[in-house]
Amino acid sequence: MNATGIKFGLGLYTALFIVFLYGPLAVLAILSFQTGPEGGPQFPIIEWSTYWYKHLFGLTPPSRIAPLPIEQALVRSLTLAVMTMIVSTVLGVTAAQAFRKKFRGSGVVFYLIVLGMMVPGVLVGLGMALVANTLGIDRHWWGTAFVLHVVYTFPFAFLVMLAIFNRFDPSVEEAAWSLGVTPGRTFRKITFPLIFPGVLSAMLFAFTLSYDEFSRTLFASGRDLTLPLAIYGTFSVEVHPNVFAFGVLTTLFSFALLGTYAVLMGLSVRRAKRFAIQEEA
Amino acid sequence: MIFDLELNNVGKVYDNGTPAVIDFNLSVAKGEFIAFLGPSGCGKTTTLRMIAGFESISSGDMLIRGERMNDVPPQRRPTSMIFQNYALFPHMTVHRNVGYGLEVKGMPRAEREAKVDRILATLGLEDIAGRKPDKLSGGQRQRIALARGLVVEPDILLLDEPLGALDANLRKAIQNELKLLQKSLGITFVFVTHAQSEALALSDRIVVMNQGRIEQVSPPHQLYTRPNTPFVAQFIGRNTVLSGEVAGNEGDDVVVTTGIGTLAGRANGALSGKSRVSLVVPAEAIEVHAAGRREALGHARNLVDARIERSEVVGHIAHLTARLEDGRAVALEAHVDKYRPGDFPAGSQVFLSWNPAEATVIPA
Repeated sequence: MNATGIKFGLGLYTALFIVFLYGPLAVLAILSFQTGPEGGPQFPIIEWSTYWYKHLFGLTPPSRIAPLPIEQALVRSLTLAVMTMIVSTVLGVTAAQAFRKKFRGSGVVFYLIVLGMMVPGVLVGLGMALVANTLGIDRHWWGTAFVLHVVYTFPFAFLVMLAIFNRFDPSVEEAAWSLGVTPGRTFRKITFPLIFPGVLSAMLFAFTLSYDEFSRTLFASGRDLTLPLAIYGTFSVEVHPNVFAFGVLTTLFSFALLGTYAVLMGLSVRRAKRFAIQEEA
Repeated sequence: MIFDLELNNVGKVYDNGTPAVIDFNLSVAKGEFIAFLGPSGCGKTTTLRMIAGFESISSGDMLIRGERMNDVPPQRRPTSMIFQNYALFPHMTVHRNVGYGLEVKGMPRAEREAKVDRILATLGLEDIAGRKPDKLSGGQRQRIALARGLVVEPDILLLDEPLGALDANLRKAIQNELKLLQKSLGITFVFVTHAQSEALALSDRIVVMNQGRIEQVSPPHQLYTRPNTPFVAQFIGRNTVLSGEVAGNEGDDVVVTTGIGTLAGRANGALSGKSRVSLVVPAEAIEVHAAGRREALGHARNLVDARIERSEVVGHIAHLTARLEDGRAVALEAHVDKYRPGDFPAGSQVFLSWNPAEATVIPA
């Protein structure tokens, strides 16, 4: 095969990849603009409209289709994601810091941590439910489910930070110590600013993984549903394009999150630059 | 007398049982410039890191100005360290990098600024004080690291291959600056290097290390001309090392029977009755004579047959390679005035000779 052929082949492969990646999303997005309330979740589009978006926010006249029962679930999921993000990132950073030096049993501990993202979610969720029952603990999204979310996302944060520390030059810390800076202050003022982009990545991982976690939450969250569970619950009745409209909004939210991440990354660079100017003044 | 730095029987054994430094003894006076010289893995950097406090000391004692430092954490030792990769704080400006050590000590701002400005001026860094280190050249970063280490006024400045990452010209320039700076400040410097030219040019005394042990501690010239051990003889300068047995003494000279004849040199200290010895002949001490001049040289000692194998002139230096009868190659060089091009073409039969006072006899 000649160079043009290879180029064409790779191009085709990439195109197919993108179709499979974004195809389902695009279909959802298109169908979310179906007319309502009579239009269903299938092609063809009878008429383009934003009916289902209005329906989400209760801006349409009452009809036989009930609004999505997601308001509280959304608040719960966001709260849970933030809680998980904070705890997992702190654990991830401190655990990775501990792993910078070999300690006795570090190999075993490493696999124990990573196990949290390997074990099947349904099993862990079910197990947690059984344990809670046995011990007489009430299941709540902010309790049992939260613990499972941390167990699940902490390894991701940990691995991200491990990779960051792997490229971190420890002589910078030694230089600080030799200037008389205490280890605690060295971590806060020297190490942390340098690993901050990695910390942001760990936070992003923990947040998004927790936000759309389903299988672990299913058994462990008790009576009050998180967002993925609430949406799944509506499927059992009848699917209307309002779910798609919500899906589009959620995706936009994720993009916004990524955007925030990019801005924060940029800021962490710029803030350093501003320091430079302050010093000069 | 209280020394700035004392290492008494200091040893380092790694967790896996490998000894890195064995029985290290050294006393350093205030204001001395000491170089640790040796091949990679000889323990020189480990010793430096033990002095800084980054590595624990397995055995023995380390004292700074008479105070035992073994268990003092690095931030409370009166040392500061300069790293090969400079280890500047990338998120701080040059000015803040240099002032950070004073900042954490709680020095008032005005006093601190004045101090930082002074050292930046001394090292020619005023113009880049507001810049970030990652935008600067290797030489500039090297100076920043020096300024940062010196501004906190350590008793001892530790330097770990500080010139290793610079190109040859810059290295030469900073080498000179370093020497001048050290002399004017009067601070004790301990400098780790694997480049003998750096050690020979900079230091008051050189500690040659090999496989975790000290081989020799001497001022540069003495180290160069009078090696104590076969390792130093091979490592420093360009010496021909001939092994043999002591045959006797002739005045100040020790006569040694070797595979290529009976030769003479000066004993370096007592040979303590050892009969197996090495005769160390520096390349600079060896003279080349045409075969026909043997008569003219009379019965001088230290005449060795050889054949010229290679002869070339690079600029003003003549480089000769001679092959001895036992197959050993000896490299020589001298100013081109001494050996003019064509004097000793490849293949010509020659004699090599040297003054016994310039050769050293050491225990094998």
